[in-house]
Amino acid sequence: MDDHRPSTPILDVRELAISYKTRRGQVPAVRDVTFDILRGEAHGIVGESGCGKSTVAFGIVSFLGRNGRIVGGRILFQGQELVGRSEEELRRIRGDRIAMVYQDPMQALNPSMRLGDQMTEVLTTHRGLKLEAARERCLEMLDRVYMPDPANVMQRYPHQISGGQQQRVVIAIALLNDPALLIMDEPTTALDVTVEAAVLDLIAELQRTFDTAIMYISHNLGVVARVSSKVGVMYAGEMVERAVVERIFIRPFHPYTQGLIRCVPRLGMDKRSSHLYPIRGRVPSPSNLPPGCIFEPRCDYARADCSQKKPPLREIEPGHWVRCFHAEEIAQTEWQVPADLAEQLARPAGYDPNAEPILRITGARTYYRVPSKKLLTRKKLYVKAVDDVSLEVRKGQALGIVGESGCGKSTLVKTIIGMEKPTGGQFDFMGMDVSVPVSKRDLALIRELQMVFQNPDSTLNPSFTVANQIARPLIRFKTVPRDQVESQVLRLLQMMKLDERYLDRLPRQLSGGEKQRVGIARAIAGQPELVLCDEPVSALDVSVQAAVLNLLMEIQAELGSTMIFIAHDLSVVRFFCDHIAVMYLGQIAEVGPAEAIYAPPYHPYTEALLSAVPIPDPRAEQKHIRLSGTVPSALNPPTGCRFNTRCPRKIGTICETEVPPWREEGHGHRIFCHLPLDVLCKMDAVVTVNQ
Amino acid sequence: MLVRDIMTRHPMMAEPSMSTVDAQRFMGENAIRHLPVVGSGKRLLGLVTRQSLLVDPGRLGSLNLWEIASYLSSLKLRDVMIKGEHVITVSQDVPIEEAARIMVEKRVGGLPVLDDGIVIGIVTETDLLAHLMEMMAARSSGVRVTIRQPNVRGELAKLVAAIASQGWGIAALGGAVAPKDPQRWDAVVKIRNVPRDQIVAVLSQIEGHEIIDVREN
Repeated sequence: MDDHRPSTPILDVRELAISYKTRRGQVPAVRDVTFDILRGEAHGIVGESGCGKSTVAFGIVSFLGRNGRIVGGRILFQGQELVGRSEEELRRIRGDRIAMVYQDPMQALNPSMRLGDQMTEVLTTHRGLKLEAARERCLEMLDRVYMPDPANVMQRYPHQISGGQQQRVVIAIALLNDPALLIMDEPTTALDVTVEAAVLDLIAELQRTFDTAIMYISHNLGVVARVSSKVGVMYAGEMVERAVVERIFIRPFHPYTQGLIRCVPRLGMDKRSSHLYPIRGRVPSPSNLPPGCIFEPRCDYARADCSQKKPPLREIEPGHWVRCFHAEEIAQTEWQVPADLAEQLARPAGYDPNAEPILRITGARTYYRVPSKKLLTRKKLYVKAVDDVSLEVRKGQALGIVGESGCGKSTLVKTIIGMEKPTGGQFDFMGMDVSVPVSKRDLALIRELQMVFQNPDSTLNPSFTVANQIARPLIRFKTVPRDQVESQVLRLLQMMKLDERYLDRLPRQLSGGEKQRVGIARAIAGQPELVLCDEPVSALDVSVQAAVLNLLMEIQAELGSTMIFIAHDLSVVRFFCDHIAVMYLGQIAEVGPAEAIYAPPYHPYTEALLSAVPIPDPRAEQKHIRLSGTVPSALNPPTGCRFNTRCPRKIGTICETEVPPWREEGHGHRIFCHLPLDVLCKMDAVVTVNQ
Repeated sequence: MLVRDIMTRHPMMAEPSMSTVDAQRFMGENAIRHLPVVGSGKRLLGLVTRQSLLVDPGRLGSLNLWEIASYLSSLKLRDVMIKGEHVITVSQDVPIEEAARIMVEKRVGGLPVLDDGIVIGIVTETDLLAHLMEMMAARSSGVRVTIRQPNVRGELAKLVAAIASQGWGIAALGGAVAPKDPQRWDAVVKIRNVPRDQIVAVLSQIEGHEIIDVREN
């Protein structure tokens, strides 16, 4: 209906090249990037970290810093050239017509100003509005982004609202000036999956009502599939493929795009029926690019000409652009697992559901004491981070724990490993009591329980070499005699697919994926019985994530270790785990075999979580369930069923007054809900994929 | 239907310092006829139309070729635009027919849409025509019938009742006083998925109504 409007793209980027000046000379971070965004269109940009996605965004608003410079190409914004404009002109265009939303809302908000003052400032400064009128506008806009109680929020400071609400405020501020172009750089990456789903809904709605063009940068293929109409795939500073979203996901031409899609687990995939195929090698550094096609060193289809000439971005089908010489041929050939990769693919451990439980937790409680706000009171206040959790982990099993942040996943794991002191409950690990803190534990017990952390940076000693990091537990636990430590370190490194060249490196000389491998090597060095993994892959790029997941599976198969695996990505958990526990506000809402969790009957909370997961497949249809509000405070959890304040399937006062019963479905699948089992069984599946 | 529903949001805009040479090219390349000139915060300063860019030959008459070139290249939008208060504008909350009336009466082809002095959109003849097209369901196929009826209360209801009695749906409906005949009123209806003959048979039965045009697309 809009075909009578000017067809000039809102943003038209042509052959853009951006370089950073460093001590080692010019680093061409972005080369030959071409794309356009039409009025009211949402254009996704995906790629792994370091691919130049954010650099392109910063180039558009010319925030490249002192050493960054646009060295070629054009950026046309609403038909006008931005490259080569004076700072003053750019500032005006940017401020008035382009807005940006970043990953971390706290960096965009001033922590020392009330939110209302920060918002009105935009209008009083940019538009010269009177304070009262500005206030009116801001309230209206907060209402538009579905902020509960806007007037109250205006009085608050940023730290007094939740992360999802902060991001809403940032989006509201961005929209106050009615920008023609909104650049969003990973705006939901720091948010919980349920909050993310609500923010993505909001973005889609605002795009329609305000007719704003959106450039949406994300590493998450699922998120991009949900919000964008077109997608550009970036690799090592170049755009390698660009098309409408369905084509990118269903019929990608470029080997890199195909590789990316093969290495993310889709919801419903599991390790027994399918594999994740990591992309070999790593992204080349921009200062040391291959002479021909930049993807050639990692490409399964590379030919002689690929390493000699640079392929141009060409239109292979109307509206589908790809940077590959052999795209037609590749599209016709079925992808075969290359022999060297097939060898590496882990065969999942045969887990025996009737194996002996090695960890049995009954009624676990971990409370944190918090100071009372009242000066004169004897009442002690506790945050009930883990409250009455009972679990069993069998030998060789991978148990996944999922839930929103603040639901007690990490506290539970920290209690098991002894970093937090439990308030109550029995903890039985292979006949030993593990409710004692780690400092009082027996060395033998410490050795059997090891942990892999989310952020390898903060867990590896920055001044120890890789060899030292891995040798330390070997020596401490006397796993091998002193004279065999060196060969054992080497063996572990090889298991991690790292070679002896890494022995003398320091953590800062490793990539994120490599650091995580060293972290894993250190955890398994003492051959522990149980490995606790707290978000081990969430900080990693998708192709690295696939490799690390494969590695963990291989370790499980080879050493027979049992694992507890925390992750917020439900597709990853489904893929990796045999058993899953869904936690909500310190309690388990549902537990059972992985396949049972992802199919009806569901706990209403699990149902909502699943409907929020972004799925990297535009054909997938999901039920639309959005939870209102945030997880209530664990200081004063709701009575009855703790989920009753947000439950879309609440049946009445019974939910508020009585603790729900466990509904047993069999095979260890239990649901903590007042709804009878036959009602739960009648729920529809959350995700259906139309072929 | 209000202006906010049909206006083009985020119109292309220019700064007062843009040269007329650039503006000429800019408007040509992007096929636009109205270019709001804005200052900081998208505040409207003026409007440039194709006419603004026509140079008065009288002013050039006394100049030689070289002087003309230098005169033209020094000309900025701030020199040729229709300035501030002389620009005819509209707010986003007025009905579209009101915007049309302003455009017809003031003989202008486009109105910047302002909110507190800030440009939030533009509405042009093309937007109104595009909307007329939608109102008459020009893009969907069906039978379009023009019926001349007495210009008195209750006559249109008869027509609608006749269509409704058949269970047909109305894809579009419009009307106006018949040209040069204030006693009569012409109603245009578009009906989908019904054969032309059937429609004519039913509508020709209405007393006092006369089918003056039938066409199908």
